[in-house]
Amino acid sequence: MSRFTGWWFTPMPLGRIAALRTIAYLFIPLDIFVFTPWIRQHADISTRLYDPLLVARVLHLPEPTHAFVLTVQWLLVAAALAGATGRAPRLLGTAIFLLYGEWMVIAMSYGKVDHDRYAYLVLLAVLPTIGAVRYGQREPSEAVGWALRCVQLAVVLTYFLASWAKFRFGGFNWPTGAIFEWAIIRRGTFLSNWLLHYPHLLEIGQFGMIVAELASPLILLVARSDRGRYLAVATMLLFHLVTFGALTIIFLPHLVAILSFLPLERHRPVLWVRARFTPRSPALAEPTEQYSGS
Amino acid sequence: MPTLSNAGKVSRLGIAAAVLVITLLGTIHGQDDWFPFGPFRMYASRDSPKAAVKSTLMQGITPAGKRITINGTETGLRRAEVEGQLGRFERNPALLATVADAYQRRHNGATLAAVEIVVRNYGLRGGAATGHYTQKLLARWSRS
Repeated sequence: MSRFTGWWFTPMPLGRIAALRTIAYLFIPLDIFVFTPWIRQHADISTRLYDPLLVARVLHLPEPTHAFVLTVQWLLVAAALAGATGRAPRLLGTAIFLLYGEWMVIAMSYGKVDHDRYAYLVLLAVLPTIGAVRYGQREPSEAVGWALRCVQLAVVLTYFLASWAKFRFGGFNWPTGAIFEWAIIRRGTFLSNWLLHYPHLLEIGQFGMIVAELASPLILLVARSDRGRYLAVATMLLFHLVTFGALTIIFLPHLVAILSFLPLERHRPVLWVRARFTPRSPALAEPTEQYSGS
Repeated sequence: MPTLSNAGKVSRLGIAAAVLVITLLGTIHGQDDWFPFGPFRMYASRDSPKAAVKSTLMQGITPAGKRITINGTETGLRRAEVEGQLGRFERNPALLATVADAYQRRHNGATLAAVEIVVRNYGLRGGAATGHYTQKLLARWSRS
């Protein structure tokens, strides 16, 4: 039992929360305006096509009219930009989580749900459980450990439970289907279209996919050393880049959540830029937080 | 080092356990509308290597009679969303008027005389694409 709680509450640096908070919240305006503009385009769709999620029906959330979608959008952008500064982390973090939750209701209530942001939603949920922190702060905390473990577990579950869904909806013979063929015909690119002539190669890929998903809990075992952490993150990143090359599908919010595995507190890009472009002005750098390492 | 009280630990473990249980239930038993706890069914359905690959598309007829293909960003409704609500459109093609309205809103008032949903069946032979397809009309609305 103590090893179990020990894993959940492994003390981890406060500074990682500071970095994740800024990255996760700055991601929101990019998500809204650049990566998934189709969500805000639901403002132009009649509410007759609104087919609310279970959570929206239970909570009696309002129908997303044009004005409602735009209101949520601008409130969310404002809260996210304010939250990215690290100020009022609990208040703004809670507001961002609730507004982004409503944004997801607007996104996923028109006949299709996506699975690229389960871990990112967990990240938004746990960030407000940590109070004010500083960039680069190395001091470890059990509360940070719990928050990061939640996100890491959610990342792994996204892969592991995807295999379960394949067995549930596709059957145990899923790997012998024409799934990749189907996907490439619909969304193929110049990098993947040639594969249409090699169905057996695609079939091998489907077996590989199931095996990799079933093996995904190993990520938690591998990510116990620095080398393991970078290896695990690089492997996941490679998978998502290959998928992007083949089908132009990329799980960007999920990639943000994957950053929870990395020692972000050691990286100080702002200090690095300052040190590089303002030579011989040590007054600018905080004396206790000198940049070290890459 | 900031440590957590026993109560803090117990409540955190309880919340994590509850979310985990809901997520597992969603995967085993839930449907898409359980989002974000629904099953992670990206490419989960199995497509037979013998049957044709279906691809749905939305087409519009301009007042001048020209047939155009309408992509998701032109109306705000993505292809997968059209497919997700296909049953509704087939039962009630008049609902396609909302697509024409959305198109108009996103194209400075340009109107469509008709909107159609068609499905293309791409042939497979031995699991490989033959490059040929047949097309079928699933739902049609026209401005009267």
